[in-house]
Amino acid sequence: MDISGQYLVTLVLNGLLIGLIYALMALGLTLIFSVLGIVSFAHGEFYMLGGYVVYFALERFTNLSPIVAILLAGIIPFLVGIIFERLFLQPMARGEIERPGEYAILVTFGLSFFLQYLMAGIVGPFPKKADRFFDLPTFDLGWIKATASTLTIGGIPFSASRLTAGLIAMILIGAMILFIKRSWTGKALQAVSQDREAAAVTGINPLNMNTLAFGLGAMLAGLSGATLVDVFAWVPWVGVQASSKSFVIIVLGGMGSMPGALLGGLIIGIVESLGAGLFPDPGRALAYKDAFGLLIFAAVLLLKPTGLFGREL
Amino acid sequence: MIELDVRNVYKSFGGVQALNGVSFKIEGNQLVGLIGPNGAGKTTLTNVLSGILKPTSGEVWFNGERVDKLPPYQIARRGLGRTFQVTRAFRRMTVLENMLVPAMALHPASRKRDFYKKAMEILEFLTIEHMANEYARSLSGGQQKLLELGRLLMLDPDVIILDEPFAGVHPKLMEKIYEYIRIVHEQGKAFILISHDMESIFTLSERLLVLNFGELIADGDPQVVKHDPAVIEAYLGEEEEEEGPVAIPARPVAGPEENDA
Amino acid sequence: MKQKLLPWLLGVGLLVLALAAPLLLQNQQYWLFIATQAYFWAMLAASWALLAGYAGQFSFGHIAFMAIAAYASGIVGRDLGWSPLSGIIFGVLLSGFVGLVIGWLCLRLRRTYLALFTIAFAEIFRLMVNAELDMTGGPMGLYMDPLLNTTSYIPYYYIMLALLLASLGFMYWLANSHFGLFFRSIREDEEAAAAMGVHVVRYKIMAFVVTSMIAGLAGAVDHHFIGFIAPTELIIGRMSLVIAMAVIGGIESLLGAALGAILIHFALEWLQEIPVPAGLMPNLIALAPTLEKFGLGVGDRGLVTNAWRMVGFGILLMLTLRFWRNGLIHPLIERMFRAEARKETVAKRMQAVQTQEQEEVES
Repeated sequence: MDISGQYLVTLVLNGLLIGLIYALMALGLTLIFSVLGIVSFAHGEFYMLGGYVVYFALERFTNLSPIVAILLAGIIPFLVGIIFERLFLQPMARGEIERPGEYAILVTFGLSFFLQYLMAGIVGPFPKKADRFFDLPTFDLGWIKATASTLTIGGIPFSASRLTAGLIAMILIGAMILFIKRSWTGKALQAVSQDREAAAVTGINPLNMNTLAFGLGAMLAGLSGATLVDVFAWVPWVGVQASSKSFVIIVLGGMGSMPGALLGGLIIGIVESLGAGLFPDPGRALAYKDAFGLLIFAAVLLLKPTGLFGREL
Repeated sequence: MIELDVRNVYKSFGGVQALNGVSFKIEGNQLVGLIGPNGAGKTTLTNVLSGILKPTSGEVWFNGERVDKLPPYQIARRGLGRTFQVTRAFRRMTVLENMLVPAMALHPASRKRDFYKKAMEILEFLTIEHMANEYARSLSGGQQKLLELGRLLMLDPDVIILDEPFAGVHPKLMEKIYEYIRIVHEQGKAFILISHDMESIFTLSERLLVLNFGELIADGDPQVVKHDPAVIEAYLGEEEEEEGPVAIPARPVAGPEENDA
Repeated sequence: MKQKLLPWLLGVGLLVLALAAPLLLQNQQYWLFIATQAYFWAMLAASWALLAGYAGQFSFGHIAFMAIAAYASGIVGRDLGWSPLSGIIFGVLLSGFVGLVIGWLCLRLRRTYLALFTIAFAEIFRLMVNAELDMTGGPMGLYMDPLLNTTSYIPYYYIMLALLLASLGFMYWLANSHFGLFFRSIREDEEAAAAMGVHVVRYKIMAFVVTSMIAGLAGAVDHHFIGFIAPTELIIGRMSLVIAMAVIGGIESLLGAALGAILIHFALEWLQEIPVPAGLMPNLIALAPTLEKFGLGVGDRGLVTNAWRMVGFGILLMLTLRFWRNGLIHPLIERMFRAEARKETVAKRMQAVQTQEQEEVES
């Protein structure tokens, strides 16, 4: 099999692009884990929600800037996340729930069930897809040229939608990192994730931080979905795959580790891209694309459950 | 005759040397106290003996058989029972069911009812027989401790390791636990008592092992060991230290103490 | 004494009802079909309750085990000409084997990791089924030979009912035997269980094998009845349904989970189109455009709920978890049976001990 270098580079770079969005989403999941100590089994549904918000916002308000739509797609999952956390997860943090570990799994699973069918009810059976957010300006400089839909650098094509998604993801990741590292609230979140009791003693309310973390996590998932609704067809079950990938990434990167989530996201993006691109049977390649990540996942769980940077569950 | 032979056991975790060449032998129904400052390795040793941890090097022989490589359930079945520092009763099972688990584990072909009598007798001795059909989680902390002790007996063990049996225990309960230890000891079982409660240790133990930083620094008659300078330093020396994982002992080395639980 | 009779009467009554149902529903093949499906779900929910509620293994791969047996049976029927019965036996054994492998792989995984791993397993399986068109028919599904040569649903009804009762009976026997003791001790505290001599590895794996075989049995038989299986049955939403049924019924109760599944399945069917009195139908029809905007609809007899009935169950699931951890059905059963039983048993046991002692003294 003769694989051109260019093809490989295409695969890797495209993988990186999508990896950025995976990383953004995984960041949300790992934030939830690091503060609340639970894995949200509904994470993919917030991703799905974000995508639908953008789709409907752009459909209803045709002159709306996609940027605003995307912001909305962050806000609504944030609110839903906060409401859910207050109603169903706070009691756990307050020690009112028996067998909290079991509860957390089941109740977030219940949320995912609820959200999936809620959107199925609202949206109906047909897939939705938003139009490309931004058209590229058309130009041609030889080694780099662009049409509305595609940017070609050195012969390697990149879809404008994916580029936009990747760029937005990068900006959001940067914003999130700044927030966590520099802002007072961000540092409070860090404090709670490291030692709840110590944080409480310094005047931080861990319960509020729980709510915030869950909301933020949901928001990041929603934003990830928002960037991709013009790339993929959107159905109420689109979040299931996204959830799976997020699980894979946080386990690979180490649960609760933000660098792990970022690195893991990129790795999985590249692995999937290479896997699908190099799979000997192109017919099956797409179907098995997700399997590569899942196999890495299984391997990590069995061999080194703490992942690259993580601490014990 | 009962024989527990610990041969030069080392255990390290990453960079930490938790057990540093520990060797001792228990023969017959000895009542052995195991003491040492926090972090000395007492629980690690217990975990190695009961099979939860495997020694990095060294061997453990029990009743003529090498056991350090065996899984915990096999060691338990061979007659080495232990409790945990934090009581670990099966909370969503009844007291009686808790008692039946080890019995059935040893005799899977039997019927549960074959063990009712033995279980109820033990529960009666421990004064918790009236809770037989209650879920273990509705028991008080003290009652759960007693349940753990009773549960152990269903294993018909030769050697019993009690990890902090007196922690947070009020005087009446303390009496009961002493009684338990004395009676079971008289029936021919060996004990390893791990405790910070010096009065109890010195009241009950025939022999004292002292662990410090993973090393056995003393082994012998409690009254003699008490005056061993190395032992005294191990306990007093740490009070002068600012750092370290050790803590000031819960009770003074010798003297009366009070306990309100 | 009277109090003890009631639950038994109810139980017998239910059983009689179940046995007589085909006669009562003579012309309603549709409801007979729903009932067989209800029994299918009941087998899944009850076996999952045994695995998760009793043994504490929160596996999300249950539906996959159901489908492994069904697909295996269908494939050997199609490619090797095996009879459905042989196919079912093969499928069940294969499900058991895969259950063994998964159980073994999961041995050292703690609860959340186990959940994640089994989700991954279920997803990989679904992807494989979708991708391997030659073997499984891919998204288009696989046709399966009918188990019996009949167009009536009645024999199938009795078969599924019999299988449900048999598997419930078997699982009850397991739960009340030392297996049940060990399963629960493992659920409560694995390390303490091992310290008490319980062979944790063996019983954990056994829990997986037994429950995956029951799920496989339900899957293989039911799909030889339906005649068709497709990967849409493998989506995670179906696993959620099993979980919802077990949780609402009572996760630590086999009977509760089974009854929960049956009730929920019937409810979901009935809720597909909520009957509206004839008098109000014109109003409903008038509202149709608005309703359609929200994914609802108007049918011949009433309000078509589409996905919204599932939304209701999602909410019910979350509320049940939050406020009624032991489920909605199980506590009712408990209240009827245990109150009397518990008071009795301590006295009984003391009595038994005393009698035994007396006998010893006398001998």
